[in-house]
Amino acid sequence: MFDIDFNEKGEVVVSGRLDAAHASRAQAFLDRVEGGCVVDMGSLEYISSAGLGVLLSTHKRLMSARQGLELVNVNPHINDIFRYSGFDKLFVIRLA
Amino acid sequence: MRRSYKRNFDQIARIVADTAQFFSEHNIDDALRMKVDLSLEELFVNMVTYNTETDRDILLEMKPIDGGIEVSLTDYDVERFDPTLGGQVDIDAPLSERTPGGLGLYLVLKMADSIHYEYHDRTSKITFRNIKSGGGAG
Repeated sequence: MFDIDFNEKGEVVVSGRLDAAHASRAQAFLDRVEGGCVVDMGSLEYISSAGLGVLLSTHKRLMSARQGLELVNVNPHINDIFRYSGFDKLFVIRLA
Repeated sequence: MRRSYKRNFDQIARIVADTAQFFSEHNIDDALRMKVDLSLEELFVNMVTYNTETDRDILLEMKPIDGGIEVSLTDYDVERFDPTLGGQVDIDAPLSERTPGGLGLYLVLKMADSIHYEYHDRTSKITFRNIKSGGGAG
């Protein structure tokens, strides 16, 4: 299962498993985001390279206007994937 | 365990469920789950994406080993592609130079404690092992 939506603060909330089967839905949602955006990952259980690609392409698009994604409530397992991928050097990441 | 999967991404959920069941039945340390799930998905997606010449199922085999698990994926009617020779990604590159391409195999090589590739009769078999407290990342 994977879900993505806005919360009442206007943050993007993702939950479940962001894998290759769900990456296109996540990309379609994030394509609607303009300006800087916080992504709450507190309920995200898993991410693969397909999900990393969605974050990377969205971040690059937003950073072209000097904005970007801020990834918050990141659990240690997901953070390990971010570190192995070098995402800790590209994104503002806040651990849970 | 020996099970076959159709060549589409919807099968990932089945693979995840079957993996969870196998871990439970064989008391394999759950700390290995994320690495195994990730490597399995990346390799399966790679086979589905780059081998479009066949509609044959992809075979998944798992067996418990001392302290961990051995996993094999076999693809048929396929050109040789050794994933152990790829996976080069510059993770220190600036954002402007980063692309999503290649990250999947890079992570597989990072996660696995060992990985082995066999090719014969247009059949590719990739076998990886994850062992608790092994040399793989994390």
